[in-house]
Order: sequence, then C-alpha cells, then structure tokens
Amino acid sequence: MASSRPPWIWPTAAYVHIPFCAFRCGYCDFAIAVGKDDRQDEYLRALEAELTRLGSPQRIQTLSLGGGTPTHLSADWLDRLLILLSRWLIVEPGGEFSIEANPANLDDEKIRVLADHGVTRVSLGSQSFDRNVLRVLDRDHAPEDVPRAVERVRRRIATISLDLIFGAPGQTLEQWRADLRQARSLEPQHLSTYGLTYETGTPLWKRAERGEVNPLSEDDELSMYETAIDMLGEAGFEHYEISNFAKPGYRSRHNSVYWANHAHFGLGMGAAKYAEGVRSLNVRSLEGYLTRALSGQPTEFQSETLPPHERALETIGQNLRRAEGVVHSEFQEQTGFDLQTLVGPAIARHVGWGTLEADDDAGVRLTRRGRCVADSVIQDFWKPPAERAT
Amino acid sequence: MATDPKLIRNFSIIAHIDHGKSTLADQFLLKTKAISPRDFQAQHLDSMDLERERGITIRMHPVTIYYETHRKKYELNLIDTPGHVDFGYEVSRSLAACEGVILLVDAFQGVQAQTVATAYLAMESDLTIVPVLNKIDLPIARPDVIIPEMEQALGIKPDEVIRASGKAGIGIEEVLDAIVERIPAPSGSVDNPAKALVYNSHFDTFKGVVVYVRVMEGRLHKGQKIKLMRHNTEYEIQDMGQFRPAMTTVNELIAGQVGYFVAHIKTLGDVHIGDTVTDAFNPTTEPLAGYKEPKPMVFSGLYPVNNNDFETLREALGKLKLNDSSFTYLPESSEGLGFGFRCGFLGMLHREIIQQRLERESNLDLVQTAPNVTYELLNRHGQTIMIDNPQKVPDSGQIEEFREPIGKISFLVPSENIGDIMKMCADRRGTYIRTEYLSPTRAILVYEIPLAEVIYDLYDKLKSATHGYGTMDYEIIGYRPADLVRLDILVHGKRVDALSTIVHRAFADTRGRKLVKKLRGEIDRHMFEIALQAAVGSRIIARETIAALRKNVTAKCYGGDITRKRKLWAKQAEGKKRMKQIGQVEIPQEAFLAVLDTSEEK
Repeated sequence: MASSRPPWIWPTAAYVHIPFCAFRCGYCDFAIAVGKDDRQDEYLRALEAELTRLGSPQRIQTLSLGGGTPTHLSADWLDRLLILLSRWLIVEPGGEFSIEANPANLDDEKIRVLADHGVTRVSLGSQSFDRNVLRVLDRDHAPEDVPRAVERVRRRIATISLDLIFGAPGQTLEQWRADLRQARSLEPQHLSTYGLTYETGTPLWKRAERGEVNPLSEDDELSMYETAIDMLGEAGFEHYEISNFAKPGYRSRHNSVYWANHAHFGLGMGAAKYAEGVRSLNVRSLEGYLTRALSGQPTEFQSETLPPHERALETIGQNLRRAEGVVHSEFQEQTGFDLQTLVGPAIARHVGWGTLEADDDAGVRLTRRGRCVADSVIQDFWKPPAERAT
Repeated sequence: MATDPKLIRNFSIIAHIDHGKSTLADQFLLKTKAISPRDFQAQHLDSMDLERERGITIRMHPVTIYYETHRKKYELNLIDTPGHVDFGYEVSRSLAACEGVILLVDAFQGVQAQTVATAYLAMESDLTIVPVLNKIDLPIARPDVIIPEMEQALGIKPDEVIRASGKAGIGIEEVLDAIVERIPAPSGSVDNPAKALVYNSHFDTFKGVVVYVRVMEGRLHKGQKIKLMRHNTEYEIQDMGQFRPAMTTVNELIAGQVGYFVAHIKTLGDVHIGDTVTDAFNPTTEPLAGYKEPKPMVFSGLYPVNNNDFETLREALGKLKLNDSSFTYLPESSEGLGFGFRCGFLGMLHREIIQQRLERESNLDLVQTAPNVTYELLNRHGQTIMIDNPQKVPDSGQIEEFREPIGKISFLVPSENIGDIMKMCADRRGTYIRTEYLSPTRAILVYEIPLAEVIYDLYDKLKSATHGYGTMDYEIIGYRPADLVRLDILVHGKRVDALSTIVHRAFADTRGRKLVKKLRGEIDRHMFEIALQAAVGSRIIARETIAALRKNVTAKCYGGDITRKRKLWAKQAEGKKRMKQIGQVEIPQEAFLAVLDTSEEK
C-alpha cells in the first residue's frame, strides 16, 4: 500500500503548474505561456490526461499551485481547474492547499472559488511597495493593490504569505526597510524575501550585460539580506529557511517537502517530479506539453535516478537551507549514510570557518554567516575528497 | 619501378604562421588527385588534432605526389619545415633533404621576419627559391606593395613571383610547374654505394620505429642489410614506402627519393636524427654531415592534480618521449604539490604543447610550475652543483657564487625599432655586442642576455615592440656569476615551494610585488581572509590580501526543480579538480604560472 512507504520514496505532496501570464517580467525565467490564453481549455484537458496517468486518486498532505500566474484566467476557469484537481489529488484533512496569486487580478469572485475548493493559503506576489522598484521589475500591479488584496483574501482564507524581492537595480537600503515595514504592517503569517537573481538569457540579464541597469554591489545585497533577517526576527518571524520567514506554526509545509528532499508529484508544463527515487521534468513549452499530454505520451522529457551517494549529497544541499539543517537521525534513515562518515572533514572545515555549527545529537546547520554564503558551503560538499599534498 | 632521378623534385614550404601553408598543401593533394575530395579534410597534413584546432602547423607530414606536365610524370616530395623558433633546429634538417623551397608570403601581411630568417637559411644552403604570393584573391591583397618588399628584403626578382590563392585554388598549377621547372633534380647517382639522410622518425604502435629518409646516393631496398653509421648498428629493412599521403609500400627507394623504412628498431633512442644510413656490405666511406642535437633549455615541474595519478603521468611522459626525444623528465617532489616530474623543453611553445598533449592523450589534470633555466652554484665546500629547480637553492650562507646561463641573442628587426629593442635589453640586464644593417630598414642587433630573462618574456616583448616583424635566435655561451636570490611566496602564512623563483636581487622587489598582485587575481575568495606575501630569506617584500567571501546564496529553489541546481554544484566541484589544496587554500593551476605574467604594472 502506497501510504506505508516513507515520504522520500512516495509523494505526500503535489505541485501543479499554471503557465498563463499576461506578459513576461524582465527577471523571469520560469516556464510560462504569454498570449496563449486561448489554449486554456486544452490545458485543462492536458492536465486531466496527465492526472489520469496517476492511475488512481492520490491522498496527499500538501497541494501547491504555482505559475505562471494561477489567478490570471477567469474565476470560471479556476473553478473547473479546482474541480478537476479535487478528483485526483485529495488533500487530507488538516493538510495545506496553497496558491500563488497576483495582487492585480485577484478579485472577490476568484477568492470565493478558491475558498470554496478548500484553499488554505494564498501567497501574494507583492515583490515591493515602491513604485520605482515595481517598474524596474516589470510588475503590473500598483503598491496599493497589495493591502486591498490582503484585506479581501483575509475575509475568506486564513493564511497569507507575501513575496518580496530585494536587490533590484537602483533600490536603496532605505527603500528596502520601508518595504519590510509595510509588509509587516499587513500582518501576514508568512514572508518570503528573494534576492534578485540575474538569470542568464532573461531580458533583465541582457540589460545588465549591456550596462543599461547596474546590479547592486555584493555588500549592498548583503546588508539588505541581513536587514530582513533582523527586522523580521524582531517582528516575531522565525527565519526557518534561507529566504523564508514564518510566524510559529505557519511554515510552508509544501516547500518544506522540497527542503527535506522528500518525494512530490509535479503536474503541468515544466513541472518537476520526484517519486520512487526518480527525478523527472515535464517539457517546458506549451505546445510540446499539450501535444504530448493530449496524445497520451509521457510528458517528461528528462528523468534520472541518482546513485545513493549523490542522492545523499543532494539531501545535504537541500536540508542545509532549513534552520534545523541536516538532522543526523533523519538523514541516516532517509539516505542510509552516516553524515559524519560521508562528509565529516568538510563539516569540520566549515565549523572552523564559522559557516556551520554542529552538535553531536541533533545535526549540522548553517550559521548566520553561513547562510550568506550558503551556495559555497553546499558546493564544498560535492568536491571529491580533499586532495592534499603530503 | 623506381622513378628516374631526373623526374624527382624535393621541396619545402617556408611560410609564416597563418600565411596559408596548410591550405596550399591541401591544394597540391587535390590537384594531383593524391586524395579524393570525398576523403578530404581541411589541413590534411597537419598531424595532430592540436595543430588543426589551433590552426598552427608545427610540422606537416611529408608527402609524395605525382604531377604530369611536359608529357612526363614527375615525383614531387614535400618535406615541411616547422614554423616556430622553438623548433628552429628542425628547419636545417628539412632543408638538407631538399633542393628547393616555396617561399609563401601573404599578399596582405607581407614578408615576416620569421620567414626571412628561414629563407636566408635556405639561400645559405644553395636551395632554389620559388616565391609565391598567396591569398591574391582577397580584396585587401596588395601585391604592388608586397612584391617590392620581397625584392628589398630577400632579393627576389619581381617577375619570378607567382600569384596564387590556396583557398580559391588560383595559380596552383603554375606553382607545381615552377617546382618542376625551376627546382633542380637531385644530383645523386643510383650507382654509388647507398647513402641516405635520416631527417625524422616516429614511433608506430604496430610497426615500431618508422625512419624518415632522403636517399642521397645509391638505393635502399626491402630485405637489405643496412647500417646506421653513427653507432655502426645494423638492421634489415622489413618494409619501406612513401607517404602518398597514406603510408604506401614500395620495394625500393633510389637516389633522390624520399620515404620511410621499418627495420625492427625498438626505440626512437636507437635512431639519431641526422644519421647516415648505408649498405652494411657495401658502405659509403663518407657519412653525411649530421645535425646538432637539440638541448632542453627551459625547465618546469609537472605535477598531477591528483597525487594518485603519479604513475599514470610517468607512463604518459614515457609514451610521449617515444615520439619526441627532445624533451626530458626526471622525478622530483614538492612540499606543496607532492610528487611530480621536472621536465626540460626546447622552449615555451614546446612546453605548452607537451602539457596539452599530456592532458588530452592521458586525460590527466596537471599543475605546471613557472619555468626556469638551469643555474650553477659554487658552495662553501668548493663544490659546483647544478640547480634546475628553485627549491634546491641552499641558504645564502652556503653559497660562494651563484652563476646563471647567458644567451647570445641575435635580433632581426626593423631599423625603426632598434631603440625600443635596446631599451628592452637594458631592462633585462643585457650587454650590447653589435649592430649590423642588412638594408636601410632592417638590422641585426646582437646582445648577451641572461637566459632567464629570455624565457621570462623576451619573445613576447620583441613581438609587441616590432608589431610582429622582429625575430630572434639564440645560443648559450656559458655561465656567469650574478647576484641571484630565491624569491619565496607565502600563502596564508605557508611557504609554497612551487611558487618560488630565482631572480636577480635588483629585481626582487618589483617581481615580488607584481607576483602577489597577480596571485590575488587568480585565487578565489575563500571563507576566510588570505594573506599573500613575497619574501627573500626572512624579509617580507610585498603583501596582498584576499578578502573573505561575504555573499553567495541563491534565493529561490525552483518549484522543486533541484536537478538544475545540483548539476551546477557538481559542475563547480568539477572545476575545482584543477586546483591544488595547500593548507586550507585552493590554488588554481593558473596561479602557478602567475610569475610569467608580463603585463605592465598599472
């Protein structure tokens, strides 16, 4: 029976990707579909075809809808989508059902549909409360849309999370502090603060390459990050993951599945899935996805099964993003490796440098300084055993 | 059936890099149908992938082609000359096997100094010169300027210059006709006792040593008992043939012909380039004049990045040595780098090529230390010791006299650059000897300069001072005492012996400052601050600091798509394989060559 298998083997979580967007923001490199709203019915049929391949309805703890802009299409379409999902993905009582939403187009009718179908958590893409920053990021909503959306959602859905972006070109530390104050004042239970990344190939990246926009200095980005940690900490938020903050009891349970390196379903264009040790990825183009799904072909274009050693290293990389880090007992059970035996010397090095802290019983986690250089720390675990001259 | 010697022509192509030597040779092959267009691969005769990739030709394969003109079928043998100063010793080898040369000049770039030097060598050997102006089809071609330049620099008669394009296939037949008409047939006689010049060899896994010969007198045939005159060693010819361009068996090679033979010779060391082959029973009395053996001039340490690869490196060096007897290697060890080899090379390009071939053919990651020359040292006990590695320099108290090798350098430069060259030599502790004018616009400048300064950056500086027109040649004239010191580098408080160099005391401060500055750019930021120091003895002469890494964190994980992130980690980890960990610091391979950086201080 499926449910008896451990959560890193058989999914207890599902992600559904809704690619439709009004336009592409300059920094975005997600799998999205712009100007393709006329394919919305086909997309539902394709999702249905992909869901059918699950064989039977799946009981899950968390369901997450992301995009794209899941709230871009009409309330009626949302209704049909959620009806379809409820036939195949059954969120257990007490589970988390989360959706990403754009403050600009989340009207009362859409909120009603979401609430009626059991959505428990709305994550609003507020990004900033500064008009100039929103313009640099190409966002189509105004600062005042966010408080209105928060107020409307709160009447029907209990948990609200706000997304913020820092490090936009031209953004000052003062502007960022104002963003954080504004966000706090709206009293969300959860906040995500993402440092802007110049993803290769995006319009923003090209503008930076051409010198039309100037990325902030490393020191400026660092002070913004540390400011977020301090200001949100003071306001009673736990810094439970590198980019995420929550009031006690309100961590994102769905994202915690990724950070635990547990299994999850992934449905829709470009979605990633991880089940029974196999990682796979759906095709990232709308046409490709529709064609494959509707003709009954597998929608995955790549899949791989990692050897146990790499799976263990990958787990370290994911776990370290969490406040609790890698927990010895959990790690041993999940990967079959003893953490100390696997990467003892690397841990010792980083403890020496003050980037990791370790205690024998619980496990290993990033220090505050370690969080600022997390990628370098994690990458260090992938190195072949240190080559040292005698 | 052997060809009549009157119908044989042996020639070489002299050309500057990029002037189209390989493309012209390709056209010869196509025009004479030596290869079909179907099998054709551009730069067909460039033997190494490395050459094709870099578009440079160190040495082409020899090739025999057949060309019909004047109702006769001629046998043309192309024996190439290497185009780089490192391999200059090979030029004379090839020329000795020819009666003429094609002098190939780019119709836009014009006569280059390297070409002039080789052309003079050909003239001194009384070879016929067939001048060819290549790339004539280019819109930027300027024959009106370049042909008078050829006349001025080399005494070429303008009406003898053939206008051609290897790329467009223009003038190819004219060049082939000129080879037949202008270059004399070989002069040897089939009736004399056999006498053949060994001008090259290579090792073939299946055949053993393949000896490249030009028969000067008599004939060589299959089954013949032959003698290599240098050591009076006797062999029997098992197989022989010509390069057409594939190795093609023939029964005999007669006076004037070029080809190869195989005779159960086990190692390349048994065959001396320049040796004379003769008949064991009816030997010639006079061997041919041989060549000078090339001596390694530049030394550097080669270390496997992974210490477990030491034996693999030894095997790889052994294998390479089979095909290139001009480099040497001896095991050595370094505190910082572990076990490796001290290797000797003909010059800097040779060194670079050997390293790339090692990495490519053996799949080894290597760290190479900065090159140095061999020093001579007289210690307090009156013993003279040779120092081919800065690590072997004893404490200053032990040194009675430190001596360095001196090179006599001849520069061939445009007269307008003489001032720059003299300044360059003065900066490198050079002693002026003399100037000779070849023409109002060209001069030979002779200097004596410490060899260490020559390998450091002299060639590059000459090239930039003369816009590529200058060339140089050098010979070692002996050792002279000098005020030399060992310059040490400390990384994070630890001396890295592989970064030590030997420098003149007067230059120690400048070099030390430059070196640590350069190292700062080569070493990535770490989790902690790293101090870089230069020291002579216990005196610190320069210091730089690499600040600790402050921020490197990806904000978002992509809806569970962690594959992409994992691949990035794995790729970055792969990149670190080319680093050596010394203490807690990871030092990339490039850093060990930082001492070679010749950029000026800002």
